[in-house]
Amino acid sequence: MTPINLALNHKIGLMLDNPVMPAAGCFGFGTEYSRLVEVEALGAVVVGPVTAGPRQGTTPPRTVPVPGGVLLHTGLANPGLGKIVRRYAHAWAHSPAPVIVHVAGTSPDEAASCCMRLSDIEAVAGIELGLPDAITPDETVAIVRAACAVAYQPLIARLPLDSVGSLCEAAVEAGADALTVATSPRGIAWHAPSEQFISGRLYGPLVLPLALRALRQVAERVSVPLVGCGGVHSTKDARAFLHAGAVAVQVDGAIWRDPGCLAHIARDLAT
Amino acid sequence: MIQVDAQILNVTSNGPFTRITLATPATALGLTAGRFVLAHLGGYLRTPLFPAQLDDEAFQVFVPPDHPAAALQPGAMVNLIGPLGRGFEVNVATRHLLLVAATAHLPPLLPLVRKKPDFATAFTEKPGFSATLLLSAPTAAELYPIRLLPPALEVHIVTADGSAGHGGSIRDLFPDLARWADTVCIADDPAIYPALAEIVRQVRVAPGRRFVQALVVPPIVCGVGACQGCAVETRRGIRLACTDGPVFDLLELS
Repeated sequence: MTPINLALNHKIGLMLDNPVMPAAGCFGFGTEYSRLVEVEALGAVVVGPVTAGPRQGTTPPRTVPVPGGVLLHTGLANPGLGKIVRRYAHAWAHSPAPVIVHVAGTSPDEAASCCMRLSDIEAVAGIELGLPDAITPDETVAIVRAACAVAYQPLIARLPLDSVGSLCEAAVEAGADALTVATSPRGIAWHAPSEQFISGRLYGPLVLPLALRALRQVAERVSVPLVGCGGVHSTKDARAFLHAGAVAVQVDGAIWRDPGCLAHIARDLAT
Repeated sequence: MIQVDAQILNVTSNGPFTRITLATPATALGLTAGRFVLAHLGGYLRTPLFPAQLDDEAFQVFVPPDHPAAALQPGAMVNLIGPLGRGFEVNVATRHLLLVAATAHLPPLLPLVRKKPDFATAFTEKPGFSATLLLSAPTAAELYPIRLLPPALEVHIVTADGSAGHGGSIRDLFPDLARWADTVCIADDPAIYPALAEIVRQVRVAPGRRFVQALVVPPIVCGVGACQGCAVETRRGIRLACTDGPVFDLLELS
């Protein structure tokens, strides 16, 4: 299969041998699925999210099964970039697929701090910057520009589903080499055991049509490489993203159901 | 940890449970009491299955009749990921093992008292060892049948309506048994855990780490610590049921 360059205008580029990779938030920090996923079949692995400092995350309950999917709210739980690098950089260096670290872009300062730290790590092939849900185009420019100013590696901006149309051009203008479309949609669900509503991101096959629509919108507005993300559960779903204008595809909740699906989809697309 | 297809060998009734025998060697899967597999049973999320009996060529799970696994038919294949989690840890020095369970939550404790010396957690044949089960149910009709339990296991019954054994709550009998035990393993409704923890603090002076262990099973999404979805609050911060648990030190739970 022809290699895919996710960063056409970047000095080192980001070459993938296959368009399939896991989505951030679904794959851990790189070793959790090592016994269940044939990483060598994938184009890349996206690990994280990471933040500069540790985040305990949301108070439980965090998970509510919903018909046809699941609602999950973790609150960016992670031990902080320093600890993550100490624990996982060795594994990243030995990963058979390029490693892309997903940085939660909560502010320009935090994004810059994380990207600067990651720039020193040769095992990191790219950075994916997750943009918050309620963000304006001006804030997008500020965060992406701050990250690009210090990042040595190519930078992919992941757009929130609800505002891809208003943010995609701002992200590209600020220097993003590629865009991931999109972050899973938010919803709320009733958690009966605790008698409360839980707000979180939705995962399941029904997300696919929403993400496809968003990707088509973005494809009409920008010319950087696009990575489709949301609701992919089969090779057919992944192909739909490629037909809609993506050059690569991230698999999210399907990994939890069947970790083997990542390699299956990757192999199907390679033939 | 492996992902494997297991054939259903047998589906039978077992008291209030449906007993399902899966043809995968428990030893190959590394299962022990309190560890689990995630089974693909048709829902979006996989379903945790805890072994109730471990054998060389298969393992059994006991589930309520309305559980999705109860609809499985002999001959069907089920995809499993496992073994997952940290199970009950019963120290080899243990002589007085106390098990505490509501009937609905009992099955994950059963491998601790089955006569199966191949498994490190089976102690029933050890000299000087005795095990006691504090078993509860709303009524006598909903109790797990005592005849299905190992004869060497001493059983104290509690029913909420008094139709069998002690009428009331396990909290009534738990203090004396907690004084006697040197290891306590609990599988019950987590709502009762704070009360049991308080009793342990009252009746035991400086109980050791893991003296009293409790099973906590929130919805489990990935099973490997990747999604951060199965968080449990502890005194040391948030922990994940799938990798740090699902068996926790009761006194560490918040």
